[in-house]
Amino acid sequence: MLEKTFKKVFTFNSTTDAIAFERACKNNDIPGRLIPVPRAISAGCGICWSVPAEDGEKVEEFMKASELRCSGIYDMLL
Amino acid sequence: MANIVVNAVGQNCPIPVVMTTKELNAVTEAGTVETHVDNEVAVQNLLRLASSKGLEAKSEKIEEKHFVVTITVTGPLAEAACEECECAGDARENTVVVVSSDRMGEGNDELGKVLIKGFIYAVSQLEKLPKTVIFYNGGATLPVEGSASLEDLKNLEAQGVEILTCGTCLDYYNLKEKLAVGSVTNMYTIVETIANATKVIKP
Repeated sequence: MLEKTFKKVFTFNSTTDAIAFERACKNNDIPGRLIPVPRAISAGCGICWSVPAEDGEKVEEFMKASELRCSGIYDMLL
Repeated sequence: MANIVVNAVGQNCPIPVVMTTKELNAVTEAGTVETHVDNEVAVQNLLRLASSKGLEAKSEKIEEKHFVVTITVTGPLAEAACEECECAGDARENTVVVVSSDRMGEGNDELGKVLIKGFIYAVSQLEKLPKTVIFYNGGATLPVEGSASLEDLKNLEAQGVEILTCGTCLDYYNLKEKLAVGSVTNMYTIVETIANATKVIKP
């Protein structure tokens, strides 16, 4: 198995929100990537934004400055 | 910090594991033991050795037939619980993942691209990794420079998964120069690989 590192994970209310967030992050050079929501957070289906823990604040600030909203923020070992 | 390098290139199992175990048992301070090997089975066995001793390990593919497995030790190891060195053959079942499109499923293209990215990420997180991942047609646009799945595919390759991409397809999409992970293959190898698989996974 791959080495696990600490990540900050942002979940969204809908898949559309997650895709919109990815687009906004890419356009603004914000780090992170979409991954399927880890089982530990939810057994349901969904995608979320994952960044290395040290970049978490950058994403949070970007989210505050934009009109984009997430439904939850988690610290995880992924 | 002591960094020990073990050169086990050209050695078949169980030699790389034996050589590495010897160095691990001789460790007197924190550091790393870096074992160079030339085959995926040795990588799997070294990673298993590390995990059986509760040690952190990572693997990297340097080039064709050259892998480096780095095991991090924090100090002298407690007396090894099991002295005999475990050496399984290839623990991976002969599972082959076939990616024939840059999208997963049919319907919306944007969603399909998000899904395939998630699919490849989830494959890289599998406990039992596939032996081979094959890319053809639209799938051939994934193992190339600038692809969002590149990091996951490199991780898979570093763990000993063979990544094969259809050469005809790379050529068709003008991506031959941009292939960034794994190697180029042809229809015969693709057909043989799928024919010899015990299981084929197609997203």
